[in-house]
Amino acid sequence: MDVEFEPRIVAFMCNWCTYAGADNAGVARLQSPANVLPIRVMCSGRVSPEMVMRVFRAGADGVLVMGCHLGDCHYASGNHRTAKRVPLLKNLLSYVGINPERLELHWVSGSEGPRFVEVTRAFTEKIRQLGPLAQEVAE
Amino acid sequence: MIEEIRTIVAGLLDELDAVVALRRSGEGVAPHLFQKGDDLSELEIAPRYPLMTLVSRLHKRFPAIRLGVVARGCDERAYIEMAKRNQIDPDRLSIIGFACTAEEAQECYCARPYPQQLLVGTPPPPGPVNPIVAEYDALPLAERRAFWRRHFARCIKCYGCRNICPECFCEACAMEDAVWVEPGLLAPPFPTFHLIRAMHMASRCVACRECEHACPAHIPLTVLYDLMRRDMEALLGYVPGADIAAPPPLSVTLEETPLRVARGH
Repeated sequence: MDVEFEPRIVAFMCNWCTYAGADNAGVARLQSPANVLPIRVMCSGRVSPEMVMRVFRAGADGVLVMGCHLGDCHYASGNHRTAKRVPLLKNLLSYVGINPERLELHWVSGSEGPRFVEVTRAFTEKIRQLGPLAQEVAE
Repeated sequence: MIEEIRTIVAGLLDELDAVVALRRSGEGVAPHLFQKGDDLSELEIAPRYPLMTLVSRLHKRFPAIRLGVVARGCDERAYIEMAKRNQIDPDRLSIIGFACTAEEAQECYCARPYPQQLLVGTPPPPGPVNPIVAEYDALPLAERRAFWRRHFARCIKCYGCRNICPECFCEACAMEDAVWVEPGLLAPPFPTFHLIRAMHMASRCVACRECEHACPAHIPLTVLYDLMRRDMEALLGYVPGADIAAPPPLSVTLEETPLRVARGH
């Protein structure tokens, strides 16, 4: 019997903006998908390619990297590195045949609770459509 | 050509402490530190070998040493990326640049088979783009996976690609860290091991092809690195090894190196 696929999603959130934004959503009683496992990092620039690949390998079907809007970084330009690194990593994933849609980068500020919910819901739905990563890689 | 290089090296040995080059040694050829009085008739230029790694080690070990190095285009590109990351001191290095042959350029798919500081030889025509790279975008995801699964399955995790690479100079390597690469698995887990290196090579890989040449399992690593080099140029306008004044794009702000429109892959 087929059990409905529930995507497992890991969201790296920066301490200063997105983590506060997620908190903001919670305080406002906005429902965000339980599929999302948050990992708090001090800056989205801290999210190395190794971290993304490790969570994929550990069973994540999708990975979100979220941080402060450009210009708002607590460390001035930490998210500039993220902005460059993620598109390169997406391309690299696609070159070895992993759907790059499984990795997304979003800027969510501390006051954008509704936006946090919107992004995580849309991403969860997208990954639900794509199906399990393990199945894709095993093909 | 080799005689010209030997003459130049002989002259430079009067003002420099030593010159790094290849030397005939028995049946083979090995890197050598030529000093005044050494027999320069033993100096060789083939086969290719990434001598900048040795220059970097000598510069770190001997903080005052002034060196020369006999270099191809790829050696000079490696030097440029190393110098801007403080691995080589440009003020203590003279480059004796020479052009590769047309055959070498073909073999290496080399876009620039001669150095900027060209002292000996004439630039040959550039080699072609690797045909696998040229047609890569047309491959569906499943075929890309099959391609790399087949090749990476042969990896014996010898770290030869990393060890030979002039740009792999980190003291602590992520590929040896059990947090990122589980120990005890052969071949290493698909595709993490190789993706870590490919991602770390973005903005550094100067297309010298030494990794692929060193690989005992004949994994076509440079296909991946060429694709990343292409993206670096498309996304960040950066060609590793081209300009010593250009900052490493992934370490600076978007104002210094702006992001261009992403290509859709």
